[in-house]
Amino acid sequence: METLLQIINLSLLASMIRLSTPLILAALGGLFSERSGVINIALEGMMLSGAFTAAAATAKSGNPWLGLLCAALAGVLVACLHAVATIQFKADQVVVGTAINILFLGIPALASGAMFESTGATPQLPREQVLPDWNIPLIDRIPKLNEVLSGHKPIVYFALLMVPVTYYILFKTRFGLRLRAVGENPEAADTAGVSVARLRYAGVLVSGMLAAIGGAYLSIGQNSLFTRNMTAGRGFIALAALIFGKWHPVGAFFACLLFGVAEAISIRMQGVVQIPVQFIQIIPYVLTLIVLAGFIGRAIPPKALGIPYTKEQ
Amino acid sequence: MMKKLLLITVIFAALILPGCKIGASDAASGKLRVGIVFDIGGKDDKSFNAAAWEGVKRAAQEFPIKLRDVEPGEPTSIEPSMRAFAERGYDLIIGVGFAQAPIMMQVAKDYPNIHFAIIDGAIEAPNVASLLFKEQEGSFLVGYIAGKTTKSDRIGFVGGMDIPLIHKFETGYEEGAKYANPKIQVFQNYVGINDSAWNNPGKGKELAKAQIERGADIIFQAAGNSGLGVFDAAEETNKLAIGVDANQNWVKPGFILTSMMKRIDVAVYNTVRDLVAGKFVGGVHMNGLENDGVGYALDNYNRPLLPQTVLDDVERVKKEIIAGKIKVTDAMAK
Repeated sequence: METLLQIINLSLLASMIRLSTPLILAALGGLFSERSGVINIALEGMMLSGAFTAAAATAKSGNPWLGLLCAALAGVLVACLHAVATIQFKADQVVVGTAINILFLGIPALASGAMFESTGATPQLPREQVLPDWNIPLIDRIPKLNEVLSGHKPIVYFALLMVPVTYYILFKTRFGLRLRAVGENPEAADTAGVSVARLRYAGVLVSGMLAAIGGAYLSIGQNSLFTRNMTAGRGFIALAALIFGKWHPVGAFFACLLFGVAEAISIRMQGVVQIPVQFIQIIPYVLTLIVLAGFIGRAIPPKALGIPYTKEQ
Repeated sequence: MMKKLLLITVIFAALILPGCKIGASDAASGKLRVGIVFDIGGKDDKSFNAAAWEGVKRAAQEFPIKLRDVEPGEPTSIEPSMRAFAERGYDLIIGVGFAQAPIMMQVAKDYPNIHFAIIDGAIEAPNVASLLFKEQEGSFLVGYIAGKTTKSDRIGFVGGMDIPLIHKFETGYEEGAKYANPKIQVFQNYVGINDSAWNNPGKGKELAKAQIERGADIIFQAAGNSGLGVFDAAEETNKLAIGVDANQNWVKPGFILTSMMKRIDVAVYNTVRDLVAGKFVGGVHMNGLENDGVGYALDNYNRPLLPQTVLDDVERVKKEIIAGKIKVTDAMAK
């Protein structure tokens, strides 16, 4: 019982929220892109671009907010690359995504060499140059709840806020309706006078921005530097969360929390329970397999996902 | 056509850009040529690889050698990098990290006339110098310091990859802490079980936070880049961390109690010096407390954190270990 309490407690939930944040943002980003019909396997590369740009810009300017802004812009730029290749030139979306992921294994190493005479890492930021911890006024005074929800980095609240916002945009606005239409049946949307290309551009660009902010959380929120390949596959986990959240913002959100809590548990179990580390560390993945195999029904992707649209003459 | 061209360009750029530097000419100009192949962490880890880089750079300043380095981004590019140096006839090739030992064993056999040096690995070949360290002895000393400094009688250890080499740090640390303070409790965690464990500061930080929640007030990290997350956690919660391999006291002044120095820089420097003097010897080169191959770091950054009595004690313990009066377990010897 005592060991159980050492693992499952309030700080576990706080840790879950911290670990889920980059996943939530990347998954929501992926949602915008994929709902518009463009596969976004480049989430990992977009996160890396955001993480590096945030840390580099903060190290140069001393201002994490500027770093965050630069990261968002970098994400949009990378997404531009993806969008131009896949929408304009109708290249294979998976191949372009993979190319971007590989590209961003190399670019930070190159850029950090030019900027900091380093190869893949940025200097560690002093504490006052990392994004601050924010206490939420009301929640702050409620015992227990404040331990879980208050005192996080601003990006954490942004991620939590983006879940209902995404839901609203996607299902309650005209833009959302059109975005989904373009992803399900571009011909029909086109016939109705909606520009398929423009909406898909919008979807991909938003996707890059959100994923990059998720990446920035890693380098100037949770940590205080960029290290080579620091996303360590989180972009792909976000993609998986998106799929077993059935391309729905709320579903994806819970899927991300599931990954987050599994990782938080595996961190807390180590050293408390007498089980080999190797076993503990497969927990998140085993959990994923179980959930994927047993608890969700078939996940049906947007119908036009992955198919470049050619306007009929 | 356009899209294919674009794709090819992007992929080409991705493959070529990171490798640009290596293409530079290194035609022999009478100088001895030294190539170093880093571990996955890369030479900016402020720790293990950084120490090796420090050593060869110092050697390159003092001796007329031509120095080239490669940072393989992933394990599979270690062998081609090493062979590339060998094919171009380098005089000495240094491999950083235990993971390169099996590869170097093969390459060294194929190129018997080239000198090799491996850090943290033992290779039995006349042309390979195996640079080994008694990490357990240095870790014993920092564990002893932690045991004397802790106020909660609980301390932590965060390792990178869960491998026997890192167990040497952990065991020595725990023994040292218990020697100083028998009722101490030591928590231990590992970041992961593959190479990415050296490059995951986020997870290092979470592990450290979990240990701090359980009452630890000093955490020793031996986790490469992931250890930088441990430093962040210590700073945020106003606790202390212990650095590793290089002297890391400067990274977060005031929050780093000391560093377990593994003088990879000295070992690498000495190897190059021997090569230049024509005195290169293969076989095991053991670095321990007796030859200052390992130790604890003391400088202006951490002096305020360490009372003189503790320093006197730790010096006494050091002498006793060298004299063999205190036996420290070598976790890899079993």
